[in-house]
Amino acid sequence: MLKQTLFGISLILTTPLLFAASLENDESVGAKLIRTNCLGCHIPTDKGLSRISYQRKTPEGWEMTINRMRLMHGLTLNKGKLDIKGSGLHEIVKYLADNQGLSPNETRGVRYLLEQDLNQIETQFDDDFLTMCARCHSGARIALQRREPKEWNYLVDFHLGQFPSVEYSMFGRDRDWLGIARNKMVPLVSKKYPFTSEDWSSWLAAKKPELEGKWILSGHMPGKGYFSATMKVNQNNKDYYSLNIEGMYANGEAIKGTGSSVVYTGYDWRGNINFGDISLRQTLAASADGQTLTGRFYQKGQELVGMKITAIKDASTTQLLSVFPSHIKKGETTTLTITGLGLDVGSSLSLPANIVANKVVSQSANRIVVNVTAKDNAQIGYVDIQVGEAKLTNQLAIYKQIDALEVVPSYGVARVGNNGGSTPKTNALFRAVGIDYGKDGIANTEDDINLGYIEEVSWAVVPRDEIAKKDKDVKFAGQMNSHTGLFTPAAAGPNPERYRSTNNAGNLNIVAKLTENGNEISGTGRLLVTVQRWNNPPLK
Amino acid sequence: MNSNFYHTLFLSSIALLLTGCQSLNTKEQTTTPTVKVSEKEFLITITRPNTTLHLIDLQTNKVIRQCDLAAGPGPGTLVMSPDNSIAYILTNHFSDIYGVNIDNCDVVFSTQQSTDNIRVKSIASIAISPDGKEVYTHQNRVKMMNDHYEILPPQIAAFNTSAGLNVKASRTFDAPRQVATMDTLESGGLIMGGQDIFLMDMNSGKYEVILPSLNDEQPGYSAKDVLTVWQMGKVNNEYYRMYSRAKYNGKEGDLTNADYIWGHEIVNLKTGKAEAKDFGPLESVLFTSIRRPGQLNRVYGTLNDLKEYDSTTQKLIHSIDLPHTYYCINFSHDGSKIYLSGALDSIAVYDADTFDKLAHIKLTGDGSMSTSIIFKRQG
Repeated sequence: MLKQTLFGISLILTTPLLFAASLENDESVGAKLIRTNCLGCHIPTDKGLSRISYQRKTPEGWEMTINRMRLMHGLTLNKGKLDIKGSGLHEIVKYLADNQGLSPNETRGVRYLLEQDLNQIETQFDDDFLTMCARCHSGARIALQRREPKEWNYLVDFHLGQFPSVEYSMFGRDRDWLGIARNKMVPLVSKKYPFTSEDWSSWLAAKKPELEGKWILSGHMPGKGYFSATMKVNQNNKDYYSLNIEGMYANGEAIKGTGSSVVYTGYDWRGNINFGDISLRQTLAASADGQTLTGRFYQKGQELVGMKITAIKDASTTQLLSVFPSHIKKGETTTLTITGLGLDVGSSLSLPANIVANKVVSQSANRIVVNVTAKDNAQIGYVDIQVGEAKLTNQLAIYKQIDALEVVPSYGVARVGNNGGSTPKTNALFRAVGIDYGKDGIANTEDDINLGYIEEVSWAVVPRDEIAKKDKDVKFAGQMNSHTGLFTPAAAGPNPERYRSTNNAGNLNIVAKLTENGNEISGTGRLLVTVQRWNNPPLK
Repeated sequence: MNSNFYHTLFLSSIALLLTGCQSLNTKEQTTTPTVKVSEKEFLITITRPNTTLHLIDLQTNKVIRQCDLAAGPGPGTLVMSPDNSIAYILTNHFSDIYGVNIDNCDVVFSTQQSTDNIRVKSIASIAISPDGKEVYTHQNRVKMMNDHYEILPPQIAAFNTSAGLNVKASRTFDAPRQVATMDTLESGGLIMGGQDIFLMDMNSGKYEVILPSLNDEQPGYSAKDVLTVWQMGKVNNEYYRMYSRAKYNGKEGDLTNADYIWGHEIVNLKTGKAEAKDFGPLESVLFTSIRRPGQLNRVYGTLNDLKEYDSTTQKLIHSIDLPHTYYCINFSHDGSKIYLSGALDSIAVYDADTFDKLAHIKLTGDGSMSTSIIFKRQG
């Protein structure tokens, strides 16, 4: 619990409010709540308030800060309301993210953390950063903050004060952790992630994109396959929207649902939407011109089960968004779905010479469904699709055979859960990407053709090593859905049936298989089934 | 997040850093240990969640007394008064110490180390002076201001054990960072196990390195890695901790072709003599080890296995799988029985010669993160 000191209280009573003009005069609910709730501990300065006015963070970053003060330091908001709704938390986060957030450029490359796309290996950080910072949490969590040097230094004090084991655990006890943190890491992150940046100043001054309107989007829903849809976005208040979605999966099943969203910092979209009975969360970033939304939808409570999304805003011109499936085999016939804008207004579909359109099954403003055959003598490789003047470049692959399957993610983590505990299971989702080795028939050469997701694979898990085999990890760690690639881990807690009564952890390989030209093709990934995360902040 | 996987000697141990265990509590030089006819052996340990002390008669393997402190858990590190009547327990999230009379469960001593706006955590670092008059802790301190934290230098704090309840430190001395297990020499000096092993003069507060560990730069070897919150040497009247390191076979720093080995660092509590020695090959992770009373070249270790090494030949002699993980290994004073504890709700007793399981002592709570001590006194 943070203590009130006499020193602090006297400052509050005697120092005139020296807020920066925006925070002092802003009449938004968030600014008022900051003035009402934060002065108990934060001291007015010439820039605003101590600590607060010297950092920039994402909405999730600000939320974590405020919730930490609520949970650990006794902060009560809005007369002590504990329920998040009505507490004022959202309004404070909104104000801070809008006025002290990160620009689109500043979140680029690390949005996977905001998108909760967690099953991946971070390779972009150097060794010092990895061992000092990213051995306990993601590197992206740091890269999504901007602070003045003094604030980075305070963060060192917080870490060691809150988590004293930092300097006793591995990569802490083998070095002068505190000295390195202060003298090496603080200067490093102060330079790399500075509070003041031209990029942020420009974004703050820029006109923000208008997002109300109709959006066309497509993606690949786990367990369902490709879909395309139209999302109508109606603005209720500035930055607050209601959503209506209608669409169709590739198998013809309809999609219908509603939702809502909030846009932070002028571009950073957080929403909820239902695809029928599937509840999804949305993390999207709007382009500066307001014509594109990119990001990820993921299942509420199962963040790893999700899909990349690209959406384009309705416009008077013809535009192409996607084609699926993203591959067609030489000599075979298939049905392609082409999505975009203005696809019905006198627009003619133009396919590559080696693909013959047998029949246009349906054509509407946003979707052309066409039955096609790839000629036997078609050249393999990526081809373009054109509708009117709009071109979709290299999104469709013509291939001879699937030579290999690549499992993505290549290394996934699932976590046991439930069984009377407070933490639910964390499922893991895998997909298979097809590879044609190209004309040279050799793997990992320039002419390899990425065929995109292959639906017709079967999934299984096998022991990764002899210990996993001996311990029967396949039997105990959980269940793989052989059709969808979704792995559901087993229950938490010690298992008396297991060797050493251990829990249902497992060290497994994921195997995707299909039969191609009479040959069995397989791809392998890794799955670690491990224990629960007890601390699950929005940014891990 | 599935980022950054490291492959090191202690890959599987990192999450278990704060598990605690400590060993036998006699001041005898036990090269030929004997138990006096009038004395009985007892084992004392702590369970979660309420910091419940369990006193076990090792003649019957029965729990003969439970003292529920109704305090928060963790880690449950114990030291015993020289007459083995008072157990001093570091608990309540590594912060508070309670002195409990084990004959009647009376709390005769307590301190809440955190005061005002300074929060204190001791990472299993508790020791008692040879005369029992003072309990020592190593304090990691943070000053919590209105809107920020400020890390303060760590210190050794001395508490007067006769001062009763809610005792404040009577003396403090500056100390190195990263200290975990501690003990006292018979002459009164405080041994602190950190990056190296230090000895502090408890009159002046001056300290020095008596055994370099992380900073023992021996050619042909990697730096030593010590993961310990378990002080395992009391039965042999020694401060004891285990390390691991790599012995290079090729180029300096070539871990691929290196051998991995266990070793131990020992300070004789009577003489103050300090030494480090490798004792065997590192084939699987161990959390604690101990020398066998009466046969000090025999080293026994545990985690998921029970293993015996000959430190003279540095060979593994005997190894069995265990039914579940145990973090702490202890010995009877005569060196005949091994006691495994510090995980789940059981203590396992093994024959030190045959590794046959002799008994299974059931606890009413979870012993994880706790320590256990075997001592003898008139019963």
